[in-house]
Amino acid sequence: MLNVFLVVGARPNFMKMAPLYFALEKAGVFNPVIVHTGQHYDYEMSLAFFEDLELPEPHYFLGAGSGTHAEQTARIMIEFEKVLLQQKADLVIVFGDVNSTLACSITARKLLVPVAHVEAGLRSFDETMPEEINRKLTDGIANILFTPSPDGDKNLMNEGVDHGRIHRVGNIMIDALMTILETIDASYEKTLLQKLNLKKSNYVLVTLHRPSNVDDRDTLAKILDYLEALSKKTSVVFPMHPRTKRNMEKSGMNVGRAAGLRIIEPLRYKEFITLEKNAMFVLTDSGGIQEETTYLGLACLTLRPNTERPITVTEGTNELVDLSNIEQESEWSQSGNWKKGKIPELWDGKTAERIARKIIEFCEGSRSGQRRAGDA
Amino acid sequence: MKVLSIVGARPQFIKAALTSREIREKGLQEILVHTGQHYDFNMSEVFFQQLNLPKPDYHLGVGSGRHGEQTAKMLLETEKVLLQEKPDIALVYGDTNTTLAGALAAVKLHIPLAHVEAGLRSYNKKMPEEINRIVADHCSDILFCPTETAAKNLQAEGFTNVANDGKLISRNRPSVPSCRPASPLVINVGDVMFDIALQAKQLTRKGKNNAAQILKEYSLKSRDYVLVTIHRAENTDIEKNLKSIMAALSQIAETGPRVFFPAHPRTRKALEKYNLLQSDSTTRITVSEPVSYLEMIALESNARLIITDSGGVQKEAYFFKVPCITPRKETEWTELVEIGWNQVVGAKKANIVKAALAALQQSCEDKQWACFYGDGRACDRIAKVLQDCL
Repeated sequence: MLNVFLVVGARPNFMKMAPLYFALEKAGVFNPVIVHTGQHYDYEMSLAFFEDLELPEPHYFLGAGSGTHAEQTARIMIEFEKVLLQQKADLVIVFGDVNSTLACSITARKLLVPVAHVEAGLRSFDETMPEEINRKLTDGIANILFTPSPDGDKNLMNEGVDHGRIHRVGNIMIDALMTILETIDASYEKTLLQKLNLKKSNYVLVTLHRPSNVDDRDTLAKILDYLEALSKKTSVVFPMHPRTKRNMEKSGMNVGRAAGLRIIEPLRYKEFITLEKNAMFVLTDSGGIQEETTYLGLACLTLRPNTERPITVTEGTNELVDLSNIEQESEWSQSGNWKKGKIPELWDGKTAERIARKIIEFCEGSRSGQRRAGDA
Repeated sequence: MKVLSIVGARPQFIKAALTSREIREKGLQEILVHTGQHYDFNMSEVFFQQLNLPKPDYHLGVGSGRHGEQTAKMLLETEKVLLQEKPDIALVYGDTNTTLAGALAAVKLHIPLAHVEAGLRSYNKKMPEEINRIVADHCSDILFCPTETAAKNLQAEGFTNVANDGKLISRNRPSVPSCRPASPLVINVGDVMFDIALQAKQLTRKGKNNAAQILKEYSLKSRDYVLVTIHRAENTDIEKNLKSIMAALSQIAETGPRVFFPAHPRTRKALEKYNLLQSDSTTRITVSEPVSYLEMIALESNARLIITDSGGVQKEAYFFKVPCITPRKETEWTELVEIGWNQVVGAKKANIVKAALAALQQSCEDKQWACFYGDGRACDRIAKVLQDCL
């Protein structure tokens, strides 16, 4: 059995890891080991996610917690190195673009353990995003790069990455999305919508968390102005982390001022997807939601000047908006004339299987490589 | 305008010494941070003294440890200094854990970063140094390349803002493409090690480190000895290889020149273990204790031939126009092999002897010499570019 370590740190990683965990388990030749770095400091919240995804509890929890980028990265490196020295890893798999992704890639490579990066090749070309740095550096040092779409391949090739390291396998988050959609039935939907006093296709779902939107007081004030205006016409629901809410209140923002604007606690995965699939449209700055809405064929307004997931705009239902055109775009999205979009190639729920197959090939290759070297 | 230089390992002290001087001469403020990666403080002190490196403003005292742990601690401590000093640019050197930690700390704080010795690749991801190089390069805003090959390596990795198409830039107020906020700037300034070597050679012309004195101390005559350094695991840990190298040295010594071999502690241990240290007084091979940096420069620049498995010494041999033989299977400095100054021969006795005898008979006078590593003014260029960019 090959010990394959799956490293997750924050919420968007969990959905990407779950399908692969099960695919590796099913393949019969792997011992998948889950390492939770604890970068997402709310352990309860992440356990709820694990529960929705039917994942076992993490085998290792590194308890990295929050802090500056360097503090967090450093703590993860120290703790992950201990794990790798304690239990032999044949491969470390990292996901996405959070600090854990980079910290664990560096740690593993320095111990000469091969690394595979799931969701490789994404680029926003915006160096002010910490995620962009994490993506570029992780792709620079990982041995195997699993890309979700052709733009990922192209970005990597432009960076001179050897073709042999790139494997286009599709979007693994769609695997998780398809699985959770199967568990959501009409009665579950009804109960949840009733609980939140929302009507199907009659509310806007908002998620904003990026520093570019929520850290600057003026920008945030303008966003809230818009949401307030919007909430006079329709229900607006905004799951917000309590910490973000506290920060906003501390800086004098009255987040509860608009009657129709519902700020709620963060949701579990299943709850969130249920709200998402029944929304009129989604306003977000998150990466994964741009992809989910494309799969669901739901209008998505992304409040960012760029996206590392351009295929959601060129093929899917996503549009980038800014404060100057957000109102116009949101009206358009309700007009029934919003672009229809299509589901990109290989976003078919079979990405995890493809990755598992590639990993088997890689491990066999490196084993026979070792044998050859041993013979010589 | 404030430059914050981050050093920690032995080679970095040497590289920072001269760059530092040029930076300060051009009126830029420099803050020097020593991570403490090279925990042998005595050795570090010696370098600070001999090379007139300014004393560090910060000593982070990280010390040794496992790779991840050491890097992590340096990352933490470097971030604190960066937050306190808020430099206009951070400067890192080479490919050690200090380089990686400094680069990561700066990039995450959005502090512009310059990397000296950028673009070097062995294309062997099994080397921890290769990870450090890749990460530092991809974090950097200004990439100071030592050679055209290094600049081309970066070009192949998608860097498009390459000054003078990767060729050495002019020294006179080099007009460089803008470094901010456009894409990272790749710029061939030549090899800092060449500057250092020339500068160090100057220091061996007089004073207590003068070459004549050093040679006398070791009973050597200029151009009449073979200088040897062996420290790589492939040569020290494999008995057969070390034995064969020692046998080759014996045979070379019999033909005339003395052989002088300052041994790395690990090499000495191996020599003792395999019983290869002959205390025979008739032997013309001297295995000595390690020598200081300036002693080494004096010994290199006066040798008739150098036999080494060190990458740095292969280059220094070329700087001083001394022929070189490398008892390894490969080298990072392939251009030296192509131009004929270095011969890569492996550890077989017959091959080493054959190459050495040929080199000893040949005159170096009419050998072609090319400026692969610039002109010994890399530090001046680096400081000028920094001055222009800040």
